Amino acid sequence: MAYPSIAPTGRSFNAGDYPYKTYKAQSGKEVRILYGDKRTGMTLDLSYDNIADTTADDFITHYDETKGGFSSFTLPAAFRTGWTGNTAAIDAATGNAWRYDGPPEIRSVRPGISSVTVKLVGVL
Amino acid sequence: MAKVYTGKDGRLLLDGTDQIKVTNWSMTGNLETLETTSLGDSQRTFVPGVQEFNGSATLLYYNDGTGRNDAATALKKILKVAGVTDSDTVDLRLRLVEGNTNHDVRLTAYITSVSFGASVGEVSSAQISFQGTGALTEVTI
Repeated sequence: MAYPSIAPTGRSFNAGDYPYKTYKAQSGKEVRILYGDKRTGMTLDLSYDNIADTTADDFITHYDETKGGFSSFTLPAAFRTGWTGNTAAIDAATGNAWRYDGPPEIRSVRPGISSVTVKLVGVL
Repeated sequence: MAKVYTGKDGRLLLDGTDQIKVTNWSMTGNLETLETTSLGDSQRTFVPGVQEFNGSATLLYYNDGTGRNDAATALKKILKVAGVTDSDTVDLRLRLVEGNTNHDVRLTAYITSVSFGASVGEVSSAQISFQGTGALTEVTI
């Protein structure tokens, strides 16, 4: 199955950076070498509070299908619900796809209701 | 027929016994709500969480002449040498009477606080607070 297509209750996006190295001389002069032309390493934290257990377990199913953080995937549009800016701005940048940066965390709230937290990272 | 309920219609039953000299009782039911508002929503949405029931009552510290003292019975749910155990729950019925019809809220509860004292010029009374455990066992209001 694809990544669950439901609107998150919380979202935090970090834009990542371009791959470069910095060399600093004793004089203080800094030299930077760019190793790629694609931004990567963006992170996306999504939370889904107080959802049904039957929906929460979809995240584990998807986590299994991607073999945890091994395979990358794209996200359904529902992840950016409420965002009115450029849709590409908070998605994996060109050439990137998402993979799990850790296992989804499920916190049981009450019988039948759980909250899920997912951490993703963009990779080339 | 229209009916306005007053304190005259109130009863408090503890473990099935209609308590004597009760001057007031009250109870509160609470429902915790869990927020399900998601990004993009304009109004907050909720699903029901857990409930709780609690309340309080006041009984005159009164001996009916036969040795029965309901206030003392309630006080002893906490004021005891051996300490409180799981078995110290009480079956409470908060009742409003209308002729032969009883409007009850019934619950299993722990007496969670008691206080009583004596003052010059005042009738001694006992104030008790209770905390329901589990679901209500009867509602006929």
